[in-house]
Amino acid sequence: MITIENLEKSFQFGSGEDKVLDQVNLSLNSGEITALNGVSGSGKSTLLTIIAGLQNATNGKIVVDGVELTNLKESELRQRRASQFGFIFQQSHLIPFLSVKDQLAFMIETAGRKWSRKEREEKIDAMLEAVDMMKHKDSNPNNLSGGEKQRVAIARALIHEPEVLFADEVTASLDSKRSTQVMEIIRNIAQTRKITVLMVTHDEDMLQYADRVVTMKDRKIIDA
Amino acid sequence: MKIAIQEILKNKLRYSILGIIILLIAFLTLAISGLARGLSYDNASLILDMPEGTFYMEEAAEDKHNFSAISDVQINNLNDAHDNMTLMSIQMGEVEDSSGQAHSLVFVTSEGHEIFPKAAQNELLLDGSLQDEGIQSGEEVSTRLISDNLTVSGFTEQQTYSHSPAAFIHPNDFSELVQSDASQIVFVEDEAAAIDGLTAYSNDEFLNTLPSFSSEQMSLNMITYFLYAISGLLFAIFFYMINVQKLTTFGILKAVGVKTITLFKMMWTQMILITIIALGIAVGISQLLVMVMPDAIPFQLTWEVTLFTSAVFMIIGFIGATLSGIQISKVEPMYAINQGGA
Repeated sequence: MITIENLEKSFQFGSGEDKVLDQVNLSLNSGEITALNGVSGSGKSTLLTIIAGLQNATNGKIVVDGVELTNLKESELRQRRASQFGFIFQQSHLIPFLSVKDQLAFMIETAGRKWSRKEREEKIDAMLEAVDMMKHKDSNPNNLSGGEKQRVAIARALIHEPEVLFADEVTASLDSKRSTQVMEIIRNIAQTRKITVLMVTHDEDMLQYADRVVTMKDRKIIDA
Repeated sequence: MKIAIQEILKNKLRYSILGIIILLIAFLTLAISGLARGLSYDNASLILDMPEGTFYMEEAAEDKHNFSAISDVQINNLNDAHDNMTLMSIQMGEVEDSSGQAHSLVFVTSEGHEIFPKAAQNELLLDGSLQDEGIQSGEEVSTRLISDNLTVSGFTEQQTYSHSPAAFIHPNDFSELVQSDASQIVFVEDEAAAIDGLTAYSNDEFLNTLPSFSSEQMSLNMITYFLYAISGLLFAIFFYMINVQKLTTFGILKAVGVKTITLFKMMWTQMILITIIALGIAVGISQLLVMVMPDAIPFQLTWEVTLFTSAVFMIIGFIGATLSGIQISKVEPMYAINQGGA
């Protein structure tokens, strides 16, 4: 369960101030896929990155499973991002010199999962099967298409079995067919593993994969 | 560790170029260090092979041993302050062998505590390099300043002073040679004591009184220090450029929870691996050089110098890479998320 209360975010520039989030209140239920929808500049990506601990809020609080994120030190936030959160971005952002299976192995190590070698390999294989990338297990990112890279990014975001998945415009650089494939994979894995998903999209077609749609406009949530 | 190696393997050309440049600089540094030490040994092995202690010369000689004449009173004073003194004198000169060929050398005599080989009266013990010039053991040689001929009683190994081979001579013969009974230098294996009218020198200080010794070493050491600095800058610039290209990747890795220290460890692993491989090859080549270098070239590369040079390269490489890695600690996950990438 994630609770966001009176969240505000402002950027200072010179003597001026630009408020990008204003009094945002929201609850995300465990195992639920929530889509943040809205026009460009409505503040949805900023909200996602603040909830994910990637940038700080100016005011307000975020509570994840009873722990207030806004009170955590940077090292504690990093630890939480590594072990409890998964991330998928608009670009796949794979590590260019690691093979597909090594991308996943590195994430398992980063999350501090103490799995045996056999267990780790079984989980990597299962995840690659789930995203239909088993045949590219030993490929490098530069040998993959955009859709394939994004599927590897999904696998990397979920391999360490996070409790929350943050997905920011993950289909923005994909065509409609590949977007559908990617969203189906996310929904299937999230539902199977009971992962809370917060996804940002401005693509109306992708909203069908969400259990709940939250609409933002002018820095505020207008429909939850 | 594994990820660092994987990146090197993925970018073999890039890391090979850095490795080759480090190899060449390391080899050049080792070669110059070997030459510096070889020249230093060729210049003053007589002094360099002496134990650590204190040299005394007459104050009025102003660091020039051939102007120094230590009086009996001063020797008595030294005797009160120290045990086991070695009285020594050095004089440049030349001898003619039985075929009339002249050989430049430096006459050395000593009394008291034995540090140098002792020659009997009317005999000479010569540095082995003079044997290479054709002088035989038992051969009679002459010098204009001594009336009798001197017999070569044997040869010593690598005993030189001011780039000249040493000729150990009896104190009586030396007195005839320089027309003086006074010793120029007193050496003790002890800390310096204040003796009226005498200046005390450590081994290094005494070496620097040798004409050309310090200027010769300084110029070679200067080159070595520059090479160390260049290698450090090279590491800094190389890793800076590599890190700039990887800032997005670093930012994403931070976003997913990778510790900054893990990213530094990755860079340090790469630096250490490249340096170890480059140094290993450079040391191998330089040791081959030691084996094939002709005797005429003074070249002395000890394992002590090799290990010291390797350690300096590792430390400088580490500092260079770490300074360039400051960007890693500065990059923010949000910077990376807002950028494109693989």
